[in-house]
Amino acid sequence: MFKEQLQKFFKIDRRWIFLLLAIVLFAPIIKPIGLPNKTIAEATQRVYDNIDKLPAGSFVLFSLDYDPSTRPELHPMATALLRHAFSKNLRVGVVTYIAGSTGLIEDIFAKVPKEYNKVDGVDYVIFPYMPNILATITQMSSDLYGIYSKDRNGADIRTMPVLKGVKSYKDMSFIVCVTGTAILDYWVAYVGDKYSVPVAGGVTAISQPGYGPYLQTNQLKGLIGGMKGAAEYESLIKQPGKGTSGIDALNLAHLLVLALILISNLILLYVKYF
Amino acid sequence: MSETWLIIGGWVTAGLTIFLFSFLYKDNPFFKVAEHLYLGAGMGWLFQVSVANVWIPKIWEPVSKGELLVIIPSILGLSLLTQFIPRISWISRYGFTFIMGYGSGLAIPAGLSTDFLSQVGGTIKPFSQLASMSPLAIFNSLLVAGGVICVLFYFFFSVEHKGHLKKVSNVGIYFLMVYFGAAFGNTVMARFSLLYGRFDDIYTYSGAKYFYASQLILLAMVVYFIAHWLMNKGKSGSPEEAAAD
Repeated sequence: MFKEQLQKFFKIDRRWIFLLLAIVLFAPIIKPIGLPNKTIAEATQRVYDNIDKLPAGSFVLFSLDYDPSTRPELHPMATALLRHAFSKNLRVGVVTYIAGSTGLIEDIFAKVPKEYNKVDGVDYVIFPYMPNILATITQMSSDLYGIYSKDRNGADIRTMPVLKGVKSYKDMSFIVCVTGTAILDYWVAYVGDKYSVPVAGGVTAISQPGYGPYLQTNQLKGLIGGMKGAAEYESLIKQPGKGTSGIDALNLAHLLVLALILISNLILLYVKYF
Repeated sequence: MSETWLIIGGWVTAGLTIFLFSFLYKDNPFFKVAEHLYLGAGMGWLFQVSVANVWIPKIWEPVSKGELLVIIPSILGLSLLTQFIPRISWISRYGFTFIMGYGSGLAIPAGLSTDFLSQVGGTIKPFSQLASMSPLAIFNSLLVAGGVICVLFYFFFSVEHKGHLKKVSNVGIYFLMVYFGAAFGNTVMARFSLLYGRFDDIYTYSGAKYFYASQLILLAMVVYFIAHWLMNKGKSGSPEEAAAD
């Protein structure tokens, strides 16, 4: 009788689990618990160290290639990376190869440069969206201006102070690609390896394990993975943002999953052997 | 952006999110509306970005200035569209030929160098530095090299997997399992992060500034589901619902 009762657990309407998960994720948004994020992954630390050691005025290229579907993971990451770059007085260039990214890039640049008194064209430049990443990044190896002649607002980039002395990859100190696609692979294969430019990445948690081999061989100079990675980077620059506030929800949701797995297995063991 | 547009944006964002999540309860017309809007808006956005950032600056403006060379790649690109007209679809082969040749020329050397030679080198290199490595680093290098060999054996099908070879390939399976476990764990975390992002937006738009958009839309959805249930009470459900029951 008791076993039959327990077996009902396996036939539970999955919508109850959806509801439970919704409550667990929503509760910390309404009332944050403040669970700590104490560990910093080595790969995240490497991204931070590589940017931190660049001398002021170095040119860093950001390839921000994500759309609203991966925004919760990648937007806080990109924001934290740009805050770090601006705080170090680096010159920033932004390219994108995903049409849906343009609005999100504008969203970041509407607020972050103001925090550091940075000026469009002087301290940073946002290039327009380009299709066919392979053709574009290959051309940029010889002449940046051959593929980009204007910024996203149609202003001539040749006269911009931010691009003074920057013609190709050899004039760039670091490249960071934040993406939920395979675009980081292109940066590693067609730019990092080929032209010996240091490349780092920020990717979704799903893609993160696949980049392990590139980290091991140092083809990638660092990697930020998922919302956890974003929270780690926010900790490193000491500016908590959306990544840090999401850690509460993630921790609770993971505890729920662990509890469900544990309960299911215990019930299964009891039903089978007792 | 004016305050009014921000409020309208908040209502649209909260509404579409709730409409899409309503599918978790059951299929409904609001979900269908949101689904079609998502596809339509996505295509519309892509179209305008392509026209504004590619067609005008890369084709229209150069041609207007007399730079006629851009016509050649443009014609190659347009040739792909002949796929839709069977009588002249052969023309698309010229465009595809260029794409294939260009793509292969770029991808093959880079792929060989980045994903094959560098990875083989990365696995072997630590063994030339054993004297200067810590015991943990040596163990790590051995583990990686051992894992690579075992997994490669698992995917080597030209000899029968029996005896010692079977044991080696079985160890390879465990390495693969560890990877799949890590990948699945990360996938779960990523999905929760995305869900958190939507909930965070819903919470943002539930404030007085947005005239309680989230609560009102959610309430309307609940009312709809109750009304729908009351109106269909006693009637036989759809085949999907019958199967679910």
